Amino acid sequence: MSRSEERRKARESTGGSDMTKFYITLGVVAVLGVGAVAYSVGGAALGAAAMEPVEIEGLEDMNLLAEMAQGVTKGDPDAPITIVEFGDYACPGCGGFAMSVKPQVELMLVETGQAKFVFYDFPLTGIHPTSFLAARSARCAEDQDKFWEYHDAVFRNQASWRLEQSPMAHFLNFAADVGLDVDDFEACVKSDRHAELVSANMRLGYELGVSGTPAVMVQGNNKPPFLVPNNSFAGIQAAIEQIMGPAEAGGAN
Amino acid sequence: MSDEAHNMGGTAAAPPMNRMVVAVLAMGGFFVALYLFAHNLGLTGPIVCGVGDCATVQASQYAKIGPIPVSLIGLLGYVVLLLLSFVGLQPNHRGSKLIGGLLLFGSLGGSLFSAYLTYLEAFVIEAWCQYCVISAILITLIFLASIPEAMRLREGSS
Repeated sequence: MSRSEERRKARESTGGSDMTKFYITLGVVAVLGVGAVAYSVGGAALGAAAMEPVEIEGLEDMNLLAEMAQGVTKGDPDAPITIVEFGDYACPGCGGFAMSVKPQVELMLVETGQAKFVFYDFPLTGIHPTSFLAARSARCAEDQDKFWEYHDAVFRNQASWRLEQSPMAHFLNFAADVGLDVDDFEACVKSDRHAELVSANMRLGYELGVSGTPAVMVQGNNKPPFLVPNNSFAGIQAAIEQIMGPAEAGGAN
Repeated sequence: MSDEAHNMGGTAAAPPMNRMVVAVLAMGGFFVALYLFAHNLGLTGPIVCGVGDCATVQASQYAKIGPIPVSLIGLLGYVVLLLLSFVGLQPNHRGSKLIGGLLLFGSLGGSLFSAYLTYLEAFVIEAWCQYCVISAILITLIFLASIPEAMRLREGSS
């Protein structure tokens, strides 16, 4: 009786110490896991990804600004008319422009050789916290010569990512969809690459009086840029007519 | 009721070591799946990968089944295995055949699903995500650690 009780007690005490070791091990794994996931979700989420415009010394010098601010051009670089958009990837108006007006511009003006289309980044960082990152990501796609494919994918799927705190996973999906080398793209977006370029584009926009997006301008015939009031295709045609004379704009019929 | 009966008289007092192993492995798997799921939600930014090509795997069509990310399935699976093994270690449930059976067949199902995903990585996506591989190894180990449950089930039924 007493021996069996002793045996039971011995077994229970061993079981108890086993359970203590088990709880400690489980706790250690849990703490490590929480730490690792919190680290990746928290401050290190985007690594060194530049999310905000950067200060560039001496940008008030127009020559330096003109050198640093670079749009991305579609179409014949020697086309007589230049249609410029200052756009923000997170702005719904820009999404609408990219999906409805830009295809018409491409089909009727760019592909016919009358005009080239140039996109400048103008992320409205005050209201769209991720649009600077989106602009940089598009420039990372440009590094792999797929700017326009990626640009269109980001706008086409704007609703899926624009309100997310960290749209990175979406950007990686778009990159994969358009056939980018996702690792290189990811490394680029994670860095501060193109932060100066996008910042310079923003500065250029401010200098040109851009106050909202999309800001669409038509330029040609050595005349100053003409701001298209309602960003419509008809507005662009009217602007071309005004700059070049009725004969030029008629070609888009 | 029969579960409780097996524990009467202090005969099942010692906690089953294999369930401790399952619980610890499932806890590890839970965090691996949680990390991948957080990435699916866009919370983690780029996947931190030492080797392999997680971004490609995560961006592939196979990272989701319909609207459900595979990582969420894994996450829930590990939670269930963790809870089962944890409850199965408590004095009243150490001899539970139900918990033993659920652990055994649950981890078997998880291992088969993981094997299918590993096949996709190797032959269809042709890219490796180290976290998916870690998860596949963990669920396989959990299944191996659950095999003693089969013995208990047989003992219980005879």
